[in-house]
Amino acid sequence: MSMRRERAVKLNVINEPKDSYTGGPSSLCPGCGHDLISGMIINAAWENGVEPHRIAKMSGIGCSSKTPAYYLGQSHGFNTVHGRMPSVTTGAYAINKDLLYLGVSGDGDSASIGIGQLIHAIRRNMDMVYIVENNGVYGLTKGQYSATADVGSKKRKGPSNELQPIDLCALAINLGCTFVARSFSGSRKQLTSLLRAAMSHKGFALLDVISPCVTFNNNDESMKSFSYVKENEMTLHMADYIPHFNPIEEVDVPEGHYRDIELHDGSTIRLETISEEHDPSDSVAALTALHEADQDAKHVTGLLYFDPTKPSLAEDLDLVEKPLLDLEDSELRPSKESLDALNSEFLS
Amino acid sequence: MGKIINDFTINIATANGTGSQSANLILLESLFDMGVPVSGKNLFPSNISGLPTWYILRLSENEYQAPGDRTHIQIMVNPDTWDDDLEALEPGSVVIWNSNTKNKTVDREDVFSYPMPMTKLARGINSKLAKLVTNIIYVGALAEILGIDQECLNLAVNKQFKGKESAINLNIQAILAGREYFRENLEKIDPYSVAKREITQSKFFIEGNEAVALGCIYGGCQMLAWYPITPSSSIAEGIIAYIPKLRTDENGKANLAVIQAEDELAAAGMVLGAGWAGGRGMTATSGPGISLMQEFIGLAYFAEIPSVFWDVNRVGPSTGLPTRTQQSDIAMLYEGSHGDTQHIVLIPGTIEECFEFGWYAFDCTERFQTPVFGLSDLDLGMNKWACSGFDYPSIDMDRGKVVREREVFEAFETFGRYLDVDGDGIPYRTLPGSGMDPILYRGTGHNPMGVYSEKPDDYHDLMNRLKKKIDKSRDKLPAPILREGEDAEIGILYLGSMENSIQEIDDILLDFGHNVHQCRIRALPYHPEVESFIRRHKATIVLEINRDGQLHGILRKELPDDLVTRVHSVAYSDGLPPRARIYATLIDKKLKEVML
Repeated sequence: MSMRRERAVKLNVINEPKDSYTGGPSSLCPGCGHDLISGMIINAAWENGVEPHRIAKMSGIGCSSKTPAYYLGQSHGFNTVHGRMPSVTTGAYAINKDLLYLGVSGDGDSASIGIGQLIHAIRRNMDMVYIVENNGVYGLTKGQYSATADVGSKKRKGPSNELQPIDLCALAINLGCTFVARSFSGSRKQLTSLLRAAMSHKGFALLDVISPCVTFNNNDESMKSFSYVKENEMTLHMADYIPHFNPIEEVDVPEGHYRDIELHDGSTIRLETISEEHDPSDSVAALTALHEADQDAKHVTGLLYFDPTKPSLAEDLDLVEKPLLDLEDSELRPSKESLDALNSEFLS
Repeated sequence: MGKIINDFTINIATANGTGSQSANLILLESLFDMGVPVSGKNLFPSNISGLPTWYILRLSENEYQAPGDRTHIQIMVNPDTWDDDLEALEPGSVVIWNSNTKNKTVDREDVFSYPMPMTKLARGINSKLAKLVTNIIYVGALAEILGIDQECLNLAVNKQFKGKESAINLNIQAILAGREYFRENLEKIDPYSVAKREITQSKFFIEGNEAVALGCIYGGCQMLAWYPITPSSSIAEGIIAYIPKLRTDENGKANLAVIQAEDELAAAGMVLGAGWAGGRGMTATSGPGISLMQEFIGLAYFAEIPSVFWDVNRVGPSTGLPTRTQQSDIAMLYEGSHGDTQHIVLIPGTIEECFEFGWYAFDCTERFQTPVFGLSDLDLGMNKWACSGFDYPSIDMDRGKVVREREVFEAFETFGRYLDVDGDGIPYRTLPGSGMDPILYRGTGHNPMGVYSEKPDDYHDLMNRLKKKIDKSRDKLPAPILREGEDAEIGILYLGSMENSIQEIDDILLDFGHNVHQCRIRALPYHPEVESFIRRHKATIVLEINRDGQLHGILRKELPDDLVTRVHSVAYSDGLPPRARIYATLIDKKLKEVML
């Protein structure tokens, strides 16, 4: 009888295997960048040790918005209507502020039909992670340009796009969004770190992820194709996420060449400076970096802007400490005596 | 000439934003305090300041609350409507007019004319506030002419300006100045007066929207998302105003979240989010808002998300007449959104029902897991109505089929979000964060397990279960209010704020020789008793304040074939609250056509 060594299943900090964070099989096109992002969401949630059932997966309509079926199968989710995921999330948040709201959206959702809702969710600084899987096209309706398509983008048929693209990161910074990052679906390390940091952020975290559409927008002249992004990505910094449950370990990077930013839950995002130092608390510098990259037809990635000081929606609503969901019916309905008192007050 | 006591209509023509509303409410409250049966209606423009406003006070020994057919006493302060208002008066009417109005006079010999130098008197009291005080002068004149009790006026002024000593003094001074001028310079020659009546039941005045707001507060509403729109804003503002007193803990923290949304689409989205998360969410809007919310309404129906929408109906289509009243959103609410849909609509007709349906809407939406609408209108919502007090909810909060405990969850043999376990079409649900049956809610086709499906049987079964669910709600929803004698062959079926005109319509019809029975629908889908009412009568008139007879259309679609020919539509709308004679005349005409 041979002793077979049991392979140990790797568990995270709350003793959950990664399987607890996976979802169903994807029905997107083979090679789609969105599937890579789904994988990184699974990793980030697992590594952060978030209880899977305490996440709420929110989405709108489009290729990106189908992905919540492909990750976090133990979380409730809501695939809402086109562009309106922020409002549904806001309502759910008002009732249960203790869940981690993880929104996934596309450029059609976020830069066109739902741009108003995105803007107002940012304005309220609602606690949520808002991922834009940005490919510059409408995939499900077969390849129309979106509002983030680059000038000169060309489809196989028809004229090229000559309209100015909307830069969601620049928009968000101008609106005072408290966590603004850009990444690329092919940048596993950077994006995973940014996702982990976004999950620890209190307030609205926008992650604009360039995620090439392999079917409709992967021609070489497109600025959102795999090959283009690979060659023209300017990384602001290597990001490393150090969760609150791990002590910060010594790293090889010489002092002065990295910068630690503490997040709400005590975690840290360590930004390793690549070239010139970018200060994520400097919104003007962030906008400058975006504009310069744009002029050079490049993508600048990393944590662009971060402000942990702004009150989030929870503080603005000024509610009781417990999530409203957990209140007893008797706490929600005022007493009979109070109505009797009102009636007599009206009569007097 | 005989005296006419407590039975006439006063029309007060002023300009919007001149403070006439407080003068008019002082009149309303003081007459009410005297025991005079009175109702008031505010006809106002969509404007902040300057456009014409009329306030109609109806005094009626029969307790009629409709505006009445004609004006008996006209108060003229607004030069812009002067000529038209004067021309419309029947001979024998009273005109109380501001004689300091440039280029305007009253040159009719066939009316009782009382010129009052209102501006001059007002300036004498307070030159800075002359514009506001002018309105109070006519209160004084009217008080002197009709014999309104000064004690009651003092009380009403105190109520209006709670604790603001200087405002109270100023107003009382102006009332007395109006009285004094009339007494010393003019002589009463008209037949109208008021007389005290014994008050058998103490009542107070309150607007329908405030009653809805209180109902929502007592319904345990947990989230209000709203976007301002006339005539619904005062529901949201009412809720906000009562939160500190009724919905905060000892630290002043609220347990009702209020979010002013960026538009009605977002407001609807927030309501769905709240319902999805397991809370009681609501919005209040008017027709244009409901138009914008259609997409979410369909999602709430299809994904079975509890959600409450109050619609205070104004005149459509489009921006329409934003400050006038109508019952024209019935069809839009009942069949809202694309695809096959059918929704529960609660339709209060009294101030007490505004409160009751305010709390009940939440029980209803959680019980049936479907959007529930409250349908009020501008007339009911924004005018003050007499109320004898609100009754505390008669039942505990019904949170519906929510599985909250793991043992309960595990006792299910199979759990599927959309499985019809009990055969009533209502499935069980678990809540986000619970970890039980975590599904991805969606507006796309789904099977009983909540998984995406385009299979013909899945779609067909789902749509039929939804139909069954709504159909089975009929006899659980508020039953109609029936008023029947013994032998009438004709029934009148009506809804909502028409309640305030129906008795007068009924009495006029009796004069025309028609003995009728009444049935007021209080919910859609309609209750089985509505069908039996129609069956008991040879002909039933469906009476509505709109052009197309929307309720009539719904009935024709759903009634058994043999009853379809027995319902006849009388629908009329001109933006004003229903005047009884117009409807009675139309009913008479219709009956002559169909009762041959």
